[in-house]
Amino acid sequence: MAQGLFGEAVDHIGGEPIAARMARRAPIRHVDPVLVATALLLAAFGAVMVYSATVHTQQAAGLDPAYFLKRQIAYAVIGAILMVAVNLFDYRHLRGLAPLVYAVNLLLLFVVLTPLGTASLGAQRWIDIGPLQIQPSEIAKLSVILTIGAYISLRKGEPLRLRDIAVCGAIALVPAALIYLEPDLGTMLVLAAITGAMLWVGGGRLRHFVLLALLAAAGTFLVIHMGLLKPYQIDRLTSFMNPHPNPRSSGYNLLQSKIAIGSGGLYGKGLGGAHTQTSLDFVPEQQTDFIFTAVGEQLGFVGAGTLLSLFALLIWRGLRIAAMARDMFGTLLAGGVVAFWAFEMFVNVGMTMGIMPITGIPLPFISYGGSSLITNFIAVGLLLNVHMRRYLAP
Amino acid sequence: MVMGHGGGRGGFDHPRLRLAVLAMLVVGAFVALFSRLWFLQVLAAPQYRHLAKQNKVRIVYSEPPRGRILMSNDSVLVDNRASLSVTLDRALLKHPHRTTVVLHRLSRLLHVKVKDMRARIADAALSPYKPVPVANDVSQRAQSIIAEYHEHFPGVGIEQIPIRHYPKGHMLAQPLGYTNEISAAQLKEPYFKNARPRYQPGDVVGQSGVELSYDHYLRGRPGKTRLIVNSNGDVISRKTISHERAGNDLILSVDPHIQKVVDTALRSGIMTARRSGYTASAGAVVVLDPRNGHVVAMASYPWYDPSILANGVSEKDWKLLTGGPHANPDVVHPGFNLAIQGGAPPGSTFKVITAGAAMWSGVASPYTYLDCPASKVYGNQVFNNDVPYAQGVMGFPESLEVSCDTFYYQLGWEMQQRFGVTGYEGVQPPTLEQWGRQKHLHLPPGKQRFQKYARLAGLGHPTGIDLPGESSGTIPDQRWCHEQYLATRHLFSTPTCNYGWLPGYDVNMAIGQGDVQVTPIQMAVTYAAIANGGKLFAPRIASAIARPEHGQEKIVKRIKAPVVGRLPLDDQELQVIRDGLKLVVSSPKGTAYNAFTGFPLHRYPIAGKTGTAELLGTKQNDAWFLSYGPTTDPRYVVAVEVQKAGFGAVSAAPIARQIWEGIFHIDHNARVGSLSQGGFG
Repeated sequence: MAQGLFGEAVDHIGGEPIAARMARRAPIRHVDPVLVATALLLAAFGAVMVYSATVHTQQAAGLDPAYFLKRQIAYAVIGAILMVAVNLFDYRHLRGLAPLVYAVNLLLLFVVLTPLGTASLGAQRWIDIGPLQIQPSEIAKLSVILTIGAYISLRKGEPLRLRDIAVCGAIALVPAALIYLEPDLGTMLVLAAITGAMLWVGGGRLRHFVLLALLAAAGTFLVIHMGLLKPYQIDRLTSFMNPHPNPRSSGYNLLQSKIAIGSGGLYGKGLGGAHTQTSLDFVPEQQTDFIFTAVGEQLGFVGAGTLLSLFALLIWRGLRIAAMARDMFGTLLAGGVVAFWAFEMFVNVGMTMGIMPITGIPLPFISYGGSSLITNFIAVGLLLNVHMRRYLAP
Repeated sequence: MVMGHGGGRGGFDHPRLRLAVLAMLVVGAFVALFSRLWFLQVLAAPQYRHLAKQNKVRIVYSEPPRGRILMSNDSVLVDNRASLSVTLDRALLKHPHRTTVVLHRLSRLLHVKVKDMRARIADAALSPYKPVPVANDVSQRAQSIIAEYHEHFPGVGIEQIPIRHYPKGHMLAQPLGYTNEISAAQLKEPYFKNARPRYQPGDVVGQSGVELSYDHYLRGRPGKTRLIVNSNGDVISRKTISHERAGNDLILSVDPHIQKVVDTALRSGIMTARRSGYTASAGAVVVLDPRNGHVVAMASYPWYDPSILANGVSEKDWKLLTGGPHANPDVVHPGFNLAIQGGAPPGSTFKVITAGAAMWSGVASPYTYLDCPASKVYGNQVFNNDVPYAQGVMGFPESLEVSCDTFYYQLGWEMQQRFGVTGYEGVQPPTLEQWGRQKHLHLPPGKQRFQKYARLAGLGHPTGIDLPGESSGTIPDQRWCHEQYLATRHLFSTPTCNYGWLPGYDVNMAIGQGDVQVTPIQMAVTYAAIANGGKLFAPRIASAIARPEHGQEKIVKRIKAPVVGRLPLDDQELQVIRDGLKLVVSSPKGTAYNAFTGFPLHRYPIAGKTGTAELLGTKQNDAWFLSYGPTTDPRYVVAVEVQKAGFGAVSAAPIARQIWEGIFHIDHNARVGSLSQGGFG
């Protein structure tokens, strides 16, 4: 029984019984069902598409046609469990834990580059742990969100100084540098987008952003002209501007991707259809980075539009949670997650349709890949955590 | 208002305003994605659907076995045999280094140049979905080595490819023609372009002879298969759209026995002429059936064995056949069908034309008698007879029998005077100044009855035989003369016809000399018309299209030689010519009497005419002999031409005699008709 200012027993606050008030403010009552449903729908959509994009090539190779489907479902289940687990404690504890998470993540990114890491398609991005492969660059997205959020929230709402911006930049830059060595250009860009968005939401000044933009432009120029990027990376980044690619270039892949989406038409060719661009393997990486082409080809404008609408719903819920958060840390976490999803979704879908450069960025919830899917579910968990605890004392 | 924090700050620094800015960016991104999606999937969808189809659908054509070519008794002239071909898988070609290694290894094994194999691989005309054949007709030994050590020959396959097979060797080589892959230029020719089903690059088609003129029947119908391929080019599914159908057989009207006789006679006749000191560079024989216009035999020497071309025509082969790009036009190459492509002055065999023209134009009648002096003078020029003495007054039969030149000079001169191309009926001929200056001379058309009759009799234009590349020959007239003058006036100091058309040209043409040029097939057609009562045929060497069914040839379509003209002579007029031609062979005064000494003319009456066209500046002649028989009911016309040989009576008539003996199964060594078995009941 609570005690009043003078030691008297208090059982009402503002005329409301304390038990009722506590029940009203209990986190579990403030789960965002729309967010949970959207995330699960997206994950299910993704699993179906992964199956549909791989079934023919798997069959042709005499392999288990449901191999990718089974694994993707397993990842989704793990992700959903972690999503719930993240909600068992107040997200504000993460403020203190952020440096630890950040440090562990750096360690993992470093391990990737050692012989312990595994390489695939010319990039060393994974660590094998038994049957599991983890991709620390995916975790880096969350650890950067947490760490920058924790740092900016120390400012207690004061406008950010140049020094703060530099610190936040450094927080992102260290993992980004390690990721550059893998190499994984896409994740670097995602980290940059997350950092920029969080600095903005956290109170960065306009003139600092102008400065950042100039720095970014100069950096891009230097990177391209100092040979820091490999020719194939530059080719991929610029090929979307060339409408008549020669075969065997990434521009050719892009053309095949556009043909797949365009030939889908309004209603698509049907899920798992035979003799499609997807099933005949004309589109590269069709279960991972280019999975949107399978959506566009098989489900048409109706299906692809539905998928984009689900993303719109997801991002809207994220923005809403950012706005409703009880403190700056919550707003920053939610804002970072929103920036993460919106950027990946826009760049990935834009890439398949030829309006954005080709970068190795997965489509959240849809692309095949455990680390990515689990990271996305943990991000949903973080959003839910901020949302559920918005009524608790600041 | 739900507001957790930062409520104390306002303006632009409020987090919710900053989130709103972020939200607007996101909205912009969605607008961009949705409009792009709309463009791709709705506005540009038809175009992308087309591209998607192009990506995956491939049509592959299979070539059916080509039809055979048979003779009139169904004995085979051309059929197909399996050739072991070494092929390269296209997948190998994606690895240039490995391709080089394999090609060099194959080169050593098969003795084929790497360069040649590369040329075949690079040939854009070949289907990209079939293995590329790089060497044909490889030995069994090479095949077994490749099979045994296949790991050293990645991507190399052995395939059985049907190629043409010629069991009769050189027989009818030029009329048969040869086959080769269709060229890019041929694909654009109307003959191939308008054919259905369409010809495809890589198809093997006839390049000459009946292989070319009857290609539409011989080729059959290609099979058509629709392939779905994946990005790797692997075939995912295949569907047969139409099955291939073997080509039809072509049956020729050629009689194998007579053809064999003709080949032997021509060859031995040419060898005899060569032993007599003549060049005898080439010769041709045509045997025609005057009743239906079909070719019974045809030969052109030198000939070749078409088997050398069965595996494709190399540059070397081509040079051998045609002499290549810098061929000497005086040399007859084996690929040349002298019987239909050679033009030569016909000599006295042309006198039947002059006689016909004279009767048709009205300068003579069947009863005309003319003097036959040793020489005649027209204008200021002397025209000599063959023999240096006068032979008296004679009619048409005797003029042909002794081949009196002065008789025919007179007819040529009179036709020139009355119906010629210059100075007739008050029309002035072009002056020499006009002749040389004007590009398009206005020439009075003139009646030119001599030339007109020669054209009506089948000369000066192709006969229309079912063989490609036939030449027209030349019946010279004023227009032709002017064209020659314009063409040669800057080449020679004395250009052709530099004095315009002279009356002497008509006089000379009357005995088949000068610029008149004919082919053996043209002469055979016109003599066939004399023999058959005037019908001029467009000859046919093919008699039927057939399909083998239960081991027998079932006729699909019969081929008949159309009658394309008629000699404008009545029976009496034809009869005096025929009478003359009979005397040539049978009368002791006849020019071919000696050549036919001992021939059983009483049983097998033959009529004929010798011809000797002098080649300027040489002691050699174009020797001709035209004949038909039996005169009672003509069944064959035999035309013989030997180039650069002796007199027609000496170099050509004996060949004809040998052919007639063969036709009638007369044993040359036996006496007069004692062993003649075959014949005509």
